[in-house]
Amino acid sequence: MKFSVSWLREFVELPASIDELAELLTLAGIEIEGIEKRGANFDKVVVAQITASSQHPNADRLSVCQVDDGSGQTRQIVCGAKNYKVGDKVPLALPGAVLPNDLKIRASKLRGVESQGMLCSGIELGLSKESEGLLILSPDAKIGARIGSLFPEDTILDVEITPNRGDLLSHFGLAREISALVGTPLRGGHGVGRFGETSLPMGVRISALRECPFYSARRIENVTVRPSPDWVRTKLEAVGLRSINNIVDITNFVMLEIGQPLHAFDADKLTGEIEVRFANENEKFLALDGKTYSLGPDNLVVADDARAVGIAGVMGGEDTGVTETTKNVLLESAYFRPGSVRRTARELNLPSDSSYRFERGVDPAMILPASQRATELIRELADGNSSPEIAIAGELPAPPKDVSLHYERCTRLIGLPVPKERVDQILEGFGLRRESANKDETSWRIPSYRSDLQREADLIEEVVRVVGIERVPVSDRSRFTPESEADRTYDFESALRQRLVARGLSEARTSALIPRETDPFGGGALELRNPLSEDHLALRPTLLSGLLDVLARNVRAGASSIRLFELGHVFSAENAAEKRNLAFVFSGSAESNAHWRSASRRLDLFDLKGVIETIGIADLSFRRSERPRFSLSADILSGSAVVGFLGQLAAASAKDLGALEPVLMAEIVLRKNVEVRVASFEMVSLVGTPSFREIEKFPSVTRDIAMIVPEKLSHAEIMATIEGAREPLLARIELFDLFKGKEETVLGAGKKSLAYTLTYRDRNRTLTNDEITVVHAKIRERLQRELGVELRE
Amino acid sequence: MSHELEQLRDAALAEIAAATGEQVLDAARVRYLGRAGSISAWADRMKSLSKEERPIVGKLLNEARTAVTAAIQQSAERLRTMKEATELANIDISLPGTAAELGTLHPLTQMLDRGIGIFRRMGFALAEGPDVETEWHCFDALNTAADHPARNEQNTFYLPDGRVLRTHTSTVQIRTMQSAPPPIRVIAPGAAYRRDEVDATHSAQFHQIEGLYVDEGVSVADLKGTLEFFLRELFGSDSQVRFRPHYFPFTEPSFEIDVKSKALKGGEKWLEVCGCGMVHPAVFEEVNKARKDDAYDPEKWSGFAFGLGMDRLAMILFGIPDLRLFAGNDLRFLRQFA
Repeated sequence: MKFSVSWLREFVELPASIDELAELLTLAGIEIEGIEKRGANFDKVVVAQITASSQHPNADRLSVCQVDDGSGQTRQIVCGAKNYKVGDKVPLALPGAVLPNDLKIRASKLRGVESQGMLCSGIELGLSKESEGLLILSPDAKIGARIGSLFPEDTILDVEITPNRGDLLSHFGLAREISALVGTPLRGGHGVGRFGETSLPMGVRISALRECPFYSARRIENVTVRPSPDWVRTKLEAVGLRSINNIVDITNFVMLEIGQPLHAFDADKLTGEIEVRFANENEKFLALDGKTYSLGPDNLVVADDARAVGIAGVMGGEDTGVTETTKNVLLESAYFRPGSVRRTARELNLPSDSSYRFERGVDPAMILPASQRATELIRELADGNSSPEIAIAGELPAPPKDVSLHYERCTRLIGLPVPKERVDQILEGFGLRRESANKDETSWRIPSYRSDLQREADLIEEVVRVVGIERVPVSDRSRFTPESEADRTYDFESALRQRLVARGLSEARTSALIPRETDPFGGGALELRNPLSEDHLALRPTLLSGLLDVLARNVRAGASSIRLFELGHVFSAENAAEKRNLAFVFSGSAESNAHWRSASRRLDLFDLKGVIETIGIADLSFRRSERPRFSLSADILSGSAVVGFLGQLAAASAKDLGALEPVLMAEIVLRKNVEVRVASFEMVSLVGTPSFREIEKFPSVTRDIAMIVPEKLSHAEIMATIEGAREPLLARIELFDLFKGKEETVLGAGKKSLAYTLTYRDRNRTLTNDEITVVHAKIRERLQRELGVELRE
Repeated sequence: MSHELEQLRDAALAEIAAATGEQVLDAARVRYLGRAGSISAWADRMKSLSKEERPIVGKLLNEARTAVTAAIQQSAERLRTMKEATELANIDISLPGTAAELGTLHPLTQMLDRGIGIFRRMGFALAEGPDVETEWHCFDALNTAADHPARNEQNTFYLPDGRVLRTHTSTVQIRTMQSAPPPIRVIAPGAAYRRDEVDATHSAQFHQIEGLYVDEGVSVADLKGTLEFFLRELFGSDSQVRFRPHYFPFTEPSFEIDVKSKALKGGEKWLEVCGCGMVHPAVFEEVNKARKDDAYDPEKWSGFAFGLGMDRLAMILFGIPDLRLFAGNDLRFLRQFA
């Protein structure tokens, strides 16, 4: 909310400097979000009237004005604006005036014509950010008066009021708080709080007492609706409200002054009596904002005998509002329950200054004084005469319950001893009254405007705010904590990430919220009930769509080598069950920097497979599978369970992405059931605690086998055949060469050549050449027999 | 006769010393020491020598062989050194090195890791909870009943079944207390979601580290000590830390924390980095109701809780001007953090 400093000053003496005030409030939990100077307090800028205007003899775009500056002598001013007419009153900067941006005004000749000053726009006076020419002043402005008298200087504070402090949503309320924080007295201002009432129950009825415990209405007759006087208008505009007419402005003025939202009806447009009731099913209501709202039995309305005339606490009706022709006014001042107003304002998406305050709770003790205050102002500014009677229904809500404070607990919770007397003094400063007390504890009566003070902790907070948190010492109490499941999970994921980064991959983090159309991988995604934009519409069921976006963006940005992974949450399309997945996207050159020594190679499926093989999935294997949009795909298995897949995106899809190279992707489920219970999850088993194996003492011997086989025969089958020999001396088998035959080569089409290095070793002795020759021959023979391979010498 | 062998040796040594290339040297070795070499030939002649001569010539022969072998070895080393020097003299050491490029963790991950590391040093264990939450965990249990003005449904994403995407990680406070009695000392890093228009400082998904410490006699002083330490560890020991009273429904008293440090971009301004406070007794009561016991008796236990905005911390610490860079994952951005 915006506050005018000069308005606050009417109620309380403020610290000398605004910065000091801002600091004081900020450190008391009332954050100042902006400070803005207003007004035009310039020497030698006065109100002048244009008495004549003629075309400049030497310049098409300029005119020569004669103006009356109140000195008795006519001044001649050259002017470039076009938006005025003779007789208008405008600001005149006299020679010697200094305007914002250090613009110094002096008498001079403009294109040969004498100009004795400058007529000003709103921009030139720093009063507005845009203008169409000269600032045209009110016809009532006094010629020769200092411009500062029309635009008095003020400072506007933009203050963040937290939702618990509805009592601060008025100038009087904030002044009361400042008075308590600084210890300076609060002034009553315009008689706030000193109204007597005579009342009689008439003409008002409440049929929803829970939502509206109290309602008052006062009839004010023979008002003259006209523009508000300057002092009202200035105050409203200073804090960002538009001036409408004197009656409406007065209701807003009182709300800004003491926090009670009011509403003025045109009494002649009401039929019969006022009733506060729930709306009927599908009741239509045309509100002051010109829109029609469809209400329901949850929405509280203020109605006359014929129809709803206001959404209670939210907004009045268009056709019962005060207009220039209004003669008689019915002034509403009521207490609507926060919850009810809040529900309705949310439901209708119709927040207003009024609902904002009712939602946060208005001060019951101010309902009638506010009505009185507005009535007096209407009498004063709109010539109305009101009856002293006010129609009321219901009862004012009960004052807040007493709260007791245990001094010892206060000290313990803050961690700083605060003497009893100091605590009492602070709470009394906030308007609390001691009800009963013993040695350890005092029971406090809470003022009507502080319904946020409900329990001990709330009182302790008030103490901290005034004592100042900077005075609380710092302590470094700690506690030994055993490792939790979440610790292990985090360490596991960290290790995994590190491992991938060590292999040169980079980590991406994409949003868990995705657009609908970017899930090309089937399955569908769970859509939110109330998305805000098309970009964040559904919960991602896979990391792949986000990574594809990242790929496309990087390709467009000219990246030549892309190896990315992401580790994050995914959500099932059925019920948003959460899992943690690990996904990859590879594309482009295998070397991330153009390498000056070797020819560049493109990333292919085996680059990605190699990474997956080294992340440590237990009992890992791959099995060819089919997958839409992928031209090649394989399931990733841990034991017999499918834990993910890898594949090459079909060329057609890759091209859509702007990726010219093969695009390789993989996704693995790391954790199923990131579920409700904090410590329950299943994880793909990765490396556990490493355990030492003795390093071989005796040398190994290697022998190669080269073979020509049909192209269809797989490496896995050859491996299985070699391993099937179950030779205890065979320690390792490595493929070191592979090439495919072509029509024109010796090898011929449909064949391929593979070469393996076999390593033989015994843990306990050095092997002899002869025994290896025997074993190796057995394996060669087995390959020939089982697979029919053609061995090469 | 002995004289002849000595002459042969001297000739060999001279030739070896003068050798200018490995081939020349190798030819000399073959000529003198090879199977048919002129020194080796003496071994055959030994048989034809007299008994008296044999030991004398034998000794000379041995000496000659040793000397020539040593000279060849020496010369070979000299030639290798020369060759190496010549070759390397022409190497352009300004050519770029050729290590594989480093990968990089996302800056947000790095920020989370740093934060988690500091809290772990302070004896906090990790906790976690789901992103998709019940309204009860997200609001009601946190003292934000249905009509509470701080319960901002406008900014909350709802699922069709009425559950929400958690708007803060404070949900994990509740889950942790539901599953274990006090004392509790945990942090919970994780994602949270707000229905905000995306711009340079807002995104639909953001990341927090939530913290909760419940024990006997936990005070504002403990809260202050913990978070001041954390922020000084993160931003440097000369950074300034300021607590401001604030309001959150689930803590009372509540504070926001600002940091100011010359080392940061915009370092002359107070930058808001954290919301925190003493756990509201109503939260303990709500947890007790859910637990159906009195484990979190507010008369006995007190605690503090905090939420750190990690995206914002990363922006401040790394000087990143726009939050959208995080989700963009442009490699030119990511590699800056390798």
